[in-house]
This record gives sequence, structure tokens and C-alpha cells, in this order.
Amino acid sequence: MKPGAGMKADAVVVGAGVVGAAVARALAVSGRRVVIVEQGVPGGAVSGASLACIGTHMMDEDELPLLKWCCDEWAAFASVAPDFEYSRCGQLRFLKQESERRSADEWIGIETAAGLSPTLLDPDAVRRIEPELTGPIHAATWSPNSAVVNPFLAVRRLLEAAQAAGATLVSRRPVTALRLAGGRIAGVETAEGPIEAGIVVLAGGPWTAKLAATAGVDLPIVPRKAQCLATVSVPPSIRTVVGACKAEGGVDAGYTQIQQAMSGQILFNTVLEGGVTAAGSPDDIPEVDRAFIRDSVATLLFLFPAFVQIDLLRSWVRYEAVTPDDRFLTGPAGPDGLFIAAGDGGTGFVRSLGMARIIADFVGGRESPFRRDLYDPARFDMKAAA
Amino acid sequence: MRRIDTDLLVVGGGPAGLEAARAAAEAGIAVDLVDAGFRPGGQYWMQDPTGAPPLSAQGSKGAAAIAKAQATGVAFHSGAEVFAAFPDRRVLANAADGPIEFTPRAIIVATGAHDRAMPFPGWTLPGVMTPGAGQRLAKLGGTSAGERVVLAGSGPFLMAVAETLVKLGKPPVALIEARPTDSAIIAHLARHPGRWREAARLLAGARAIPERRSGWIVTEAIGSERVTAVRIAPVDRSGRIDRARSETIGGIDALLVGWGFRPMIELTALLRCRHEHDPALGGWHCVTDRASGRTSVEGVYAAGEVTGIAGAVPARLSGRLAGLSAAADLGADTAGDEGERASLAEQLARARAFSDGLGRLYAPPADLVTLARDDTVVCRCEEITRADIAAAFADGTDAVAGAKIWTRAGMGRCQGRICGAAVAAIAAAETGITPREAGFNPPRIPLRPVPLSVVLETTRDGQE
Ligand SMILES: Cc1cc2nc3c(=O)[nH]c(=O)nc-3n(C[C@H](O)[C@H](O)[C@H](O)COP(=O)(O)OP(=O)(O)OC[C@H]3O[C@@H](n4cnc5c(N)ncnc54)[C@H](O)[C@@H]3O)c2cc1C
Repeated sequence: MKPGAGMKADAVVVGAGVVGAAVARALAVSGRRVVIVEQGVPGGAVSGASLACIGTHMMDEDELPLLKWCCDEWAAFASVAPDFEYSRCGQLRFLKQESERRSADEWIGIETAAGLSPTLLDPDAVRRIEPELTGPIHAATWSPNSAVVNPFLAVRRLLEAAQAAGATLVSRRPVTALRLAGGRIAGVETAEGPIEAGIVVLAGGPWTAKLAATAGVDLPIVPRKAQCLATVSVPPSIRTVVGACKAEGGVDAGYTQIQQAMSGQILFNTVLEGGVTAAGSPDDIPEVDRAFIRDSVATLLFLFPAFVQIDLLRSWVRYEAVTPDDRFLTGPAGPDGLFIAAGDGGTGFVRSLGMARIIADFVGGRESPFRRDLYDPARFDMKAAA
Repeated sequence: MRRIDTDLLVVGGGPAGLEAARAAAEAGIAVDLVDAGFRPGGQYWMQDPTGAPPLSAQGSKGAAAIAKAQATGVAFHSGAEVFAAFPDRRVLANAADGPIEFTPRAIIVATGAHDRAMPFPGWTLPGVMTPGAGQRLAKLGGTSAGERVVLAGSGPFLMAVAETLVKLGKPPVALIEARPTDSAIIAHLARHPGRWREAARLLAGARAIPERRSGWIVTEAIGSERVTAVRIAPVDRSGRIDRARSETIGGIDALLVGWGFRPMIELTALLRCRHEHDPALGGWHCVTDRASGRTSVEGVYAAGEVTGIAGAVPARLSGRLAGLSAAADLGADTAGDEGERASLAEQLARARAFSDGLGRLYAPPADLVTLARDDTVVCRCEEITRADIAAAFADGTDAVAGAKIWTRAGMGRCQGRICGAAVAAIAAAETGITPREAGFNPPRIPLRPVPLSVVLETTRDGQE
């Protein structure tokens, strides 16, 4: 018998991405019998496509306390878990022109007030940190506390920790519906039979809304395309995470992220405003767009002109889960026993441990060390009602 | 970057691609043929890269087919590797003199096959290579992989390699075929008299090999700097290996070992054509309507080995059929072709019956997957061992995709082209799923590593 069939558990976690893995670990460590059910392979959806930067820089002012907590938690996990290539390499955000100064200064001010230490560097100072970054940038912000992890191994380690605390992982088993009994959650349905549990946590990324709907719960999560490129392995040449200074308009105004994995592959993407993209969905993922390839390669070579003869090796596309305010939906929703932890907004890797903490605190009836009203799955209903 | 607008782009210049291109060109369609080799011909009709006249009858046939295609006006682009294709059918290739963008109205994919290698202890030693690689060395460079070669694995291709090496004056010291010879093979051959001559020729050629065994398998390659010996053991009809009766063949300097071929499905997969898995056809292959070569994607056709391993005869027939039907679909006047097409389809069915039967008879033995030991490297690019992969499965992941992200098997320069089938077999053995359920590494842009400068040039002023 495959594990999971006809099982009973205290809690079922749907989805073995970084969020589900973190939630499963948190619940299992607090003594709950957990079954994690994954439709594909663990970490194979958005989490396995991630650049997995763990940082606080140019993210979300209101979320800074949570983000700081998450960064510390990742460092703590790295010190106890087997290696997952955690590296506190710092982050640079380049400015192309003086007009971007205002945004940079603003972020530096906000983060400094929160006890962090970002600074603004001139191009020479940037090159002392990132010697190959010889392109004609105007300046860059420097956030020394940013780290990166290997996204595959990080999910694997979280799942190992969950399993060590008694959790069971079931791969390639889609959850088809939620089970209700007497108005509260009673488990999940799968193609190979039900799994009974009084608590169900939906950490299904872009698929979460569809599953919640089977219990009559309406979640404002929409899929958004995310793409990335990788070169072949080259000797160490990029030390930090290099991004573009955040412009007004948030993620939709475009972004860049460039870093070198421990394998030596250079991972990079640039999305510019208004990019036209091929149609697709989480269940029908297209290839990368031509314009995306062009913008990503052009930006990489603008910053690192010496890389022009390196071979491109691979591209990939995923659909991440986005909410109206780019924050997670995390907490109880709908029938008793149902919890949501989804809607990562494109930076869910860093925040996954915080979301797991919120779920574990709700389940355990504890307070959380940071605001959790920001993530209330019902917050948009309340706004609409007001 | 050169931009080429054409009716039909044929990818692959082997027997299937050449026949397809010629058939369509004869029907009045503008055809471009792109091939990664120095010269068209593919593996089977391999041509000398310097342009020297062919030495074998097979090579001459190829030269004639190339000349015929050229005479019909097919534009050849040799030494050009296709590395991207987009949903609007635009195809990018990289050639020595710069990249080319094709904007065809239809595509015929005839990319052929690659060797099916399976990891076993010692397979990464210098001197160990696939029979296909040995054949290329012999055909292109006129050299043998070694002075004392052991040829091993399974399938009729071993006999073809043996023939080449015998002709070179370097007959292998041993031919170790895993499939026990029995009445089933003879009965199959008896049903296809059209193939007797070829079989007789191959068998006669093999007589020059001093040691010929069937029902034996190479279990290990031994050596320090280079392979110097192999361990072999009997393998029975059900594919079980009897290691208690192992023997050693020493004093060798090369081992050619392989398990037939796998369809080269990167491009059809990238174009999102439907694929299926059948061990007798080499595993994953592109599904086509046999009478037309149409795939599940409009405007995309496939012919030859990519539609399931079958050899050169079905490749030519399916190529011609695909060329004719693509031409018809593109609006060429093909009235009067119906008779020929019906006859081709019939011949193809017969040729397929022969090759599919061979494919089933020479399926890799069940125990093949047991050869790789814990410390045997499976993914050579990233140096991932079988134990690494097994540990990932023990931790709760499965399938090729799961092994890839938890171990990096298939994430290196070859993107899993070499190890993918082996990882699938190991997944099946370790977790009880089928090789089909284990899946394959989906190809992505770029299909081959290509310099960033070229990528930029080919996308710079492209529309979205
Ligand atoms: C290119 C790229 C770069 C990124 N860079 C960063 C970064 O630098 N920093 C950062 O913090 N974040 C980054 N992110 C975002 C981050 O990776 C995601 O926010 C995060 O991985 C989301 O995790 P998740 O667990 O919610 O989603 P997923 O990993 O998608 O997990 C959801 C899982 O649920 C499963 N599932 C869904 N429905 C069902 C069902 N019905 N039954 C069973 N299983 C189901 C899915 O198969 C999937 O495995 C990046 C993302 C991308 C694509």
C-alpha cells in the first residue's frame, strides 16, 4: 500500500512547496500527527523554480518585523539542519540614474528605522563587493543581511524535519476536494481515498483557491507568470544577489534578480513593465517569452558585460499565487478546522517560515510574535463591507 | 542574424528528414532543411565531413539521397543546431557563421535517436563508450575505439557496428549480446523474408569475431586509467542475471556497450506534441498519425526514429509520407498522390511490424537496472550516484522530476539527455512506479547550450 491511503491524522497539509513544508514542520514539531499531500513531487512547483533570496530589502514596510523574524529563523534552521547552501551573501540593488535616488533613499530610511543597516554605494564601492559588476550603473543600495538558500534542498530539509517529528509525506497524490462533516472540516478527498483530519491547511500555491472553493470558500488569489534563466556552471563570479532598485508601482513595474548558485550556474531574470506574455496557466505552463529572454540577457550583460560568451543552459516558467495586496492569505478561513497559507506574491520563500508560525500559533491557540492581521484571509471581505 | 521565411522547415538530415524534404520539394513547396552535422546524412547515412566520397554502400545511398534532395531545390543548412522554438513555430538555430531564424508555415521533426546508455560499475572509465559513438568514430574518422574491443549490450545495431569494425580490419574480440538466441528470433525473422539478406550479411560479418555469446551481459568494466577488462554474467530469458557464473574477459582496451536507441524528442516535446512511452519503441516517442506524420500540434509533423525506434527503412517511408502530407496540407497540388501514399502507408506498416517485433525481442533485460551499485555515478554532469537518488526516493519524493530537484541528476550541461532514462528506470525499481509514470526531463529553451551573445542577437528585435 502506498502511504497515506485511508489514513487518519490530526492535520493534513495540502502542498509540499516551501510553505506547506514549513507548516508541516511547525505542526509536527508541536506534536500534531501530520500528513503532507502533494500532487506532484515535493518542491516541484513554484518553490523549485525559486531564486530563494532570504532578505528584508525593498520588500514591504508593514511586513518588516515579520521579515526580520523570518531571516533569523532561516539562519537558525541553517544552523541545525543538514546543509541547504544557506549563504548570507548580501544584496545589491542597482540604480541606473539619479531619478531613482528618491526611491532608494526612502527604502533605506524605512529599513534603518526598523533597525536594519542598508546603505547607498557609489559604483567603485559596489565593485569592491561585486568585482565583475562593471556595467555603467549610477549607484546601488547594499543590504548586508540578505541570504540565499538552495530552494530544492531547503524544502527537502524542512520536510525531513517534519518527517523526523512524525509527519508523513505522500507524493504525486492530488487532493481533489475538502471533506466537511457537521459544518466543519473532516479531511480531504484524494483519488486514492480520503484522509481524515480535523485540521486542513491549504498551502497549494496558485491551486489553493480552486481547492478552497470545494468547501465554499472564495479566495482572492490569481496566478501570475514568473520566469527565469540559467547559464551553464562557471567559476565563482557573482558573490551577492543583484537586483534592480524597486521602482514605484511594485512588482508590476518590473524587477531584476541575478545570482550565482553554488553549482556555479548563474540564475537571472528581468521582467520589464508591460511585457506581453504567452497565454498559460498553472496547469498549462508555456515556455519563456522571447521578450523576457531578451530583457533578462540584456540586463545581465548591461551589468556584467564580461559574461557575453557564457552559454545559456536553461529556462523555466511557473505561476505564483498573487493576492490583491501582494501579501499572503494566512490563517483560518471558512469552516472550522480549515486554514490557508497561500498567496505568496512572488516572495514567499523568505516568508514561508513566518506563515508556518502563524498557522501553528492559531492551531495551538497562541499569540504570534508579529502582526497577523496583515494576512487575515478575510481582510478583503471586511474592506468591501466597510 | 539571418531570417528565412519558408513553407516547410525539416529538422534533421537523416533518412527520414531527407526523404521528407525531397517529397515536399518535389510537390512544389519551398523547403529548408537544418541539420546539426557537418554534412547531412544523419547517423545511418553518415557522410565524411571533408566531403570525401563514401566508402560503404550505405554511405553511397545517403550521398545519392542528399544529391536528389539538392536537385529538387531543398535549401540545406548543415552544422546548424536548433536551440529554440516558439508557439508561433519560429525556430532558432545556431550555426558556425551565426544564428538563423526560420519562420516556416510547417515543421517536420526528424531528429532521429540517441544511444540508450545505462549506468553500471566502470561505465565512466576512458575507453567505455556507446556503440553509436564507436560507429561514428569508425565511419567519420576511420578509426576503431580500440585495438581490442568488446562490443556488448543488446539489439541488431550491435551487428551493424560489428560489420563496420570488421571492414575496418579491427574485428571486436568479443560480441556479448544479452538476448539469448532462441526460436522466437528465428520465427520473427522467418515472417519477414524481405529482411533475410540483410540478416545473413550481418551474421556473416560477425563470424570474424572470435568470441560471440548471447544470453550474457557485461556487469562491470574494470581498469584504472582505462578499461582493461570486463566482467560478464549469464542473463536468462526473463532478464535475470546469474552473477554466480560470472567470468572475466581481460586484455581489452575498449568497450562499446548500449541498449538500442531512444527517440530524440526534445524538439517535439518543446513544441508540446503528444508523447507516449513504449519500451519496444525506445521509451518516450512522439505520437503521430502513421499515414500522415501529423503530430497532435497543427503544422508540426514528425518522421523517423523520433516517432519510435524502428530503423532506416521505416524512417525513409515515414519521412516521405510526412513530406507528402505536409505539402498537401500547405496547399500543394498533390492530386494523384493518393495511390502512392496508400502504398507507402502499407509498406510502413509492414516495416514497422518487423522493427516493433525486434524492439520487443531485444528489450533491455529486467535486471539491467540492478547493475548500477550505490557508488555508481548515474548523472555524469553533476556526478550524482545511485545512492544519492535512492536516498531522495527514501525521503519521500519520486519520479524523474523529484530525483532531479533533490539530487541535481539531470540539471547539468546535458540536461538529463544521457541519464534521464536511467533515472526513470531507477525510480521505477526503487519506488514501484512504471517508467512511464516516472516521466522524463522536459526539454526547455535552449535545447542546447548557446552563448548569451547569440541569445541576445536572436531575440533583440523580436516581437513578443
Ligand atoms: C523565478 C522565481 C524567483 C523567486 N525568487 C524568490 C526570492 O528570491 N525570494 C523569495 O522569498 N521568493 C521568491 N520566489 C517566490 C517563492 O519561490 C514562492 O513564493 C514560494 O516558493 C511559494 O511557495 P508555495 O509553497 O506557496 O508554492 P508552491 O511551491 O507552488 O507549492 C504549492 C504546492 O501545492 C501543491 N498542490 C496544489 N494543489 C494541490 C492539491 N489539490 N493536491 C495536492 N497538492 C497540491 C502543488 O503541487 C505545489 O507543490 C521566486 C519565485 C520564482 C518563480
